[in-house]
Amino acid sequence: MKETFAKISPFQLDPSKLEEAFGLDESSFDKANDTEKESMVEMRKSVSYWADAWRRFKKNHVSMVALFVFIIAALFAFVGPLLVPYDYADQLRNAQKLGPMEYSKQEEVVRSIDDKCSSFYATALRPGSITALEKGEYYFKKGGTVYAFTLEKALENAIVMYAPKGVDDKVIIVRMADIDKEGNFSNYEVLNTTTEYSAEAIKLKLRSSVFPHVFGTDSQGRDSMVRTMFGARVSILIGIIAALIVLIIGSIYGSISGLAGGVVDFVMMRIVELIYSIPEVLVVLILQVVLKDPLQKWFDSSQSAFAQGMSDLGSGVVSIFITFALLYWVTMARIVRGQVLQLKKQEYVTAANALGASNRRIIKRHLLPNCVGQLVITTCLQIPSAIFLESFLSFLGMGVSAPMASLGSLCSDALQTISLFPYRLIFPAVILTIIVLSLNLVGDGLRDSLDPRLKK
Amino acid sequence: MLWYIFKRLLASIGTLLVVLAITFFLMNAVPGSPFLTEKSTPEQIALANAKYGLDKPLIVQFKNYLVTYAKGDLGVSLKMQEGTPVTDILFHQGKFQLSIRLGLIALCVAIVIGIPLGCVAAYNRGTWIDGFLRVLTTIGVAIPTFVLATLLLVTFAVNHNFLPTISGSLDSFKAYVMPIISLSFYYTCYLAKLTRTSMLDAINQDYIRTAKAKGVKTRSIVIKHALRNSLIPVITYIGPVIAGIITGSFVVESTFSIPGLGKYFVQSVLCRDYTVIMATTFILSALVIFMNLVVDIAYKIVDPRITLSSRED
Repeated sequence: MKETFAKISPFQLDPSKLEEAFGLDESSFDKANDTEKESMVEMRKSVSYWADAWRRFKKNHVSMVALFVFIIAALFAFVGPLLVPYDYADQLRNAQKLGPMEYSKQEEVVRSIDDKCSSFYATALRPGSITALEKGEYYFKKGGTVYAFTLEKALENAIVMYAPKGVDDKVIIVRMADIDKEGNFSNYEVLNTTTEYSAEAIKLKLRSSVFPHVFGTDSQGRDSMVRTMFGARVSILIGIIAALIVLIIGSIYGSISGLAGGVVDFVMMRIVELIYSIPEVLVVLILQVVLKDPLQKWFDSSQSAFAQGMSDLGSGVVSIFITFALLYWVTMARIVRGQVLQLKKQEYVTAANALGASNRRIIKRHLLPNCVGQLVITTCLQIPSAIFLESFLSFLGMGVSAPMASLGSLCSDALQTISLFPYRLIFPAVILTIIVLSLNLVGDGLRDSLDPRLKK
Repeated sequence: MLWYIFKRLLASIGTLLVVLAITFFLMNAVPGSPFLTEKSTPEQIALANAKYGLDKPLIVQFKNYLVTYAKGDLGVSLKMQEGTPVTDILFHQGKFQLSIRLGLIALCVAIVIGIPLGCVAAYNRGTWIDGFLRVLTTIGVAIPTFVLATLLLVTFAVNHNFLPTISGSLDSFKAYVMPIISLSFYYTCYLAKLTRTSMLDAINQDYIRTAKAKGVKTRSIVIKHALRNSLIPVITYIGPVIAGIITGSFVVESTFSIPGLGKYFVQSVLCRDYTVIMATTFILSALVIFMNLVVDIAYKIVDPRITLSSRED
């Protein structure tokens, strides 16, 4: 047996016979040069994990639509306020309780006049006309002088001042009574424009046309659309931050527990079970009340930007984060532990161990990157749950603090006047639902594409 | 089995103690006292503190709570209805019964409607029925309870007067309709989704094929073979459902003006009525923990493959 094997072994043949038998000469056994090496390289581009997942995700039409919807909602929340000339805390007088797409009579006058002329000109300091001007909503510069007036004051004094188009060098005063509905007038007087106005007025923008209150305004004259945009922004931010907190704590806890095993694992999992059975909403509610004063003190005393940002959101939101840090990471920890239990038996973990890698390095470099799919999915599905919790608390009056808004607090505010202004509830509620729905669907899509084994 | 129940019971008591401890120490972590008002003088506060034992060290106070709870006494309200025993407020004024009735009915509705809906969807997989149910349930889990509750309120009570705006103490059938719908909708949808997925899993199993090959009717395959086996993940979820329904009742109770436990708890937290907070937390968490225990045992009965002693993942 050995003999026959030896006979046919090519290494035993002499070179000339080799050529005869297989069509190979001696040079075939030289080392490959670079060009030859290149031809051996796999020509197909290797597909990374993420590219592969993205390819699968793209095939899932529902999730793609959901992702698109979520991006629109996020644009609405984060870019929208830049486009709308109102602020979430601005209380427009005489513009309270407006319906969708409406603007107040006062704004209407501005608008009709806007159509007729290039800009508003006014002065506060002409003796006998308008006195005690607070701040100018409108201003103009002429020959290095700034003139300003508030429309409110002008209305009170029955005077609107402006220059018609093409008459830039003249500033005139018209009485409100002399302006008809179309904004035409015939009776006016020329204004002496020599007095200077305070520097404060310069900061204020000229509002060249009326932007309608697309979602109407609330009882305090705040533009509902801007408030909804800010609310959506706050809700999304809260969701993301809370999910990140859960991700960090849950993944670290879970991987330590899974990797350590034994008694440590046992104890850590009993703690998880204990926390799991705590009715978390009870704790949240109590935390809300308990943390209110200490957090307020911290906001007042600390000068850091972080504290400032947190104080804008209010103590309620900070307590939500704390609650997530305390109670909500358990699901994540369980999932990560389950994954780690499977992964730690893999050869590469053994190899890393044999090479002397520390546990910390094994978790960081080997275990967590390999359960990244699960991490992403769970984090993504955590966001809507955080948004839900926040809106629930805001609804009970314990979420963000006024004048900041969240979708939940907007719904809660709308409740008081629900029979008169149902749209005030409907807009934020629909946006809340859309955000949660799209995130849920994106999460489902992620699960199918990142971890095809879980596909159902 | 008995040993398992005993062990779980012990663990439940431990959890309850932890919840109570967290609540108690959180409550007391805030400086000040429930008796602090603008008018009260330090002497009055001290007097009131002494009267209700709030001047004692925290540990002693906590021990006193546990001792009185063990005796079945829930203490006396400090603020909301000063001097009234909490048991009177919760049980004799019907708050507890009201919430429990509401919660149990909502739970039953969620189970009785949700699980069959999931079966119907799985049974008609790929048809328009399945598609419709999928859209419905997906939207259902994305609508917050309070939005649904208010929309119902506006549509049926304010604009059309079909149903009463204030459900009060639920003394007529009409009063139940909206609170129950809003409380159970989310969970109905969730259970339907869950049942559908696990039914689909079960339908692909070999024993279903065998049953089909034997010529068993489709209906009885679904009910006898598929449903039974697909109920397990559904049952695990019932525990969280119960907790959620109790939580959801906070919103529903305040929307429909039902003087129940949830609303009362929120009020007591807001005005720092220590004894009421503790008592309500005690009752609610005991309820949730107990229901979790029941669910775990039911789990065992439905699926004998699961060994109760090790609940490893």
